Amino acid sequence: MRAAALPALLSLATLLGVVGCARTVGLDVRYPEAAANRAMLASVGSRRVEIRSVTDRRIDTARIGSKPDNGKNVVTSRPVTDVVREALLVEIGKNGHAVVIERGDVVLAADVEEFWLDTVTGYGTTQYVGKVVFALTVIDGRSGDSLATRRYIGIKRRQVDKPADDVAREVMDAALARSMRDLATDRALVAAFARATTAAAPR
Amino acid sequence: MRLMRMTLLVLLVGSLWGCASSAPPPQPAARPFDNVRRLAVVVTGDSRLTVLEHSAEPGRTFDEVLSWTPYKSLLQPLAVLLHKGINWLLESDSTEAAGRDLAGIAPKAAVSIAFAQALAASEQFQEIRMLEREPVGEDRRRVDAIVRLSVPAWGIVRVREGDPDLLSGFADVRAEMVIRGTGVLVWEKAEDVTDPERLPLESFRKDSEFTRHHLLDVLTRAGERLANELVYARSAGR
Repeated sequence: MRAAALPALLSLATLLGVVGCARTVGLDVRYPEAAANRAMLASVGSRRVEIRSVTDRRIDTARIGSKPDNGKNVVTSRPVTDVVREALLVEIGKNGHAVVIERGDVVLAADVEEFWLDTVTGYGTTQYVGKVVFALTVIDGRSGDSLATRRYIGIKRRQVDKPADDVAREVMDAALARSMRDLATDRALVAAFARATTAAAPR
Repeated sequence: MRLMRMTLLVLLVGSLWGCASSAPPPQPAARPFDNVRRLAVVVTGDSRLTVLEHSAEPGRTFDEVLSWTPYKSLLQPLAVLLHKGINWLLESDSTEAAGRDLAGIAPKAAVSIAFAQALAASEQFQEIRMLEREPVGEDRRRVDAIVRLSVPAWGIVRVREGDPDLLSGFADVRAEMVIRGTGVLVWEKAEDVTDPERLPLESFRKDSEFTRHHLLDVLTRAGERLANELVYARSAGR
């Protein structure tokens, strides 16, 4: 019985290892909370912010790039809409606003227009260029008035000796972070948040 | 039995070890500087116009690139146009000119002007002064901190392989902010800034005016990006 269990246990251990590492097949792009600061967006009094929709408007929604050596698709481990939504949640929350699922003072709708990783191969080097573009519509949650439409572009370029998934992910992480930092320091967005009618304000 | 347990342990540790190597390094602690109200911006260092064709060593100048690149025949006309169209930018890019002529578009001047304008627009600072050199005397005493800004490289880089390849303008910029009097470094940033638009070489080659505008756009974008990063970092750690 014990002798028979050994191959099964070994197989299980191997399977666990394979499953654990299989996550690296899709790039786990994210915007960590530790990387976010309170910025200009925190200069507005706290708002209830509802992220109503994050829509994928990319032409090619099946991948975020292709590997130069074999042409295989580069993909994210989660839908790019989830990646952007989560990044927005982090940035909005870090700036002191309450993210709610309904009846927000401010309603946000985001369209992901580009989420792409270019890989340029040279002699002994590889250059990654990550690009994230999304449009953000800001709506007054009480009146339904459109307050602003803004577009944010984050680009990161990095050259390495050897291509690696980790580097590709870091490049996309950085591109996403740059777009979020531009968002958090955008005066027009701050002004839109300030104009939004709050529950305390008279209608 | 003991051997079996040890084997399993080694396998499990081994399988987890492979995954653990992808953990990101810890973020360095940031130092807030939201008491800094009056800034001096000083441009520093040399700027090199560069084509990063990315098939050999980076950081070469046009002339160096042209001496070896397989695209020599294609790049030569571009180089001529660039030399005609933007040489006056390079020539005017001295430390003296950078701060004096606010309408100028020398690389360092273009970046520093966009940087200062974006900082001013943010309304996070009381006073931003662009200076030709390190402030001295009363000029130095009236600022809280000094931002030293440089543009080590700028030009055109290949960003997408294809037929044709696509290129974009780029600017690699650096900035550091030190507190006046103590010299304590409170912020530093190196940014690789790439223009969002990607075009075939032909677009740059056939129209020097377009090339000039494209490069100015990316230099402006570089200044704005640096400013956004500075504003973003202002309350870091709070």
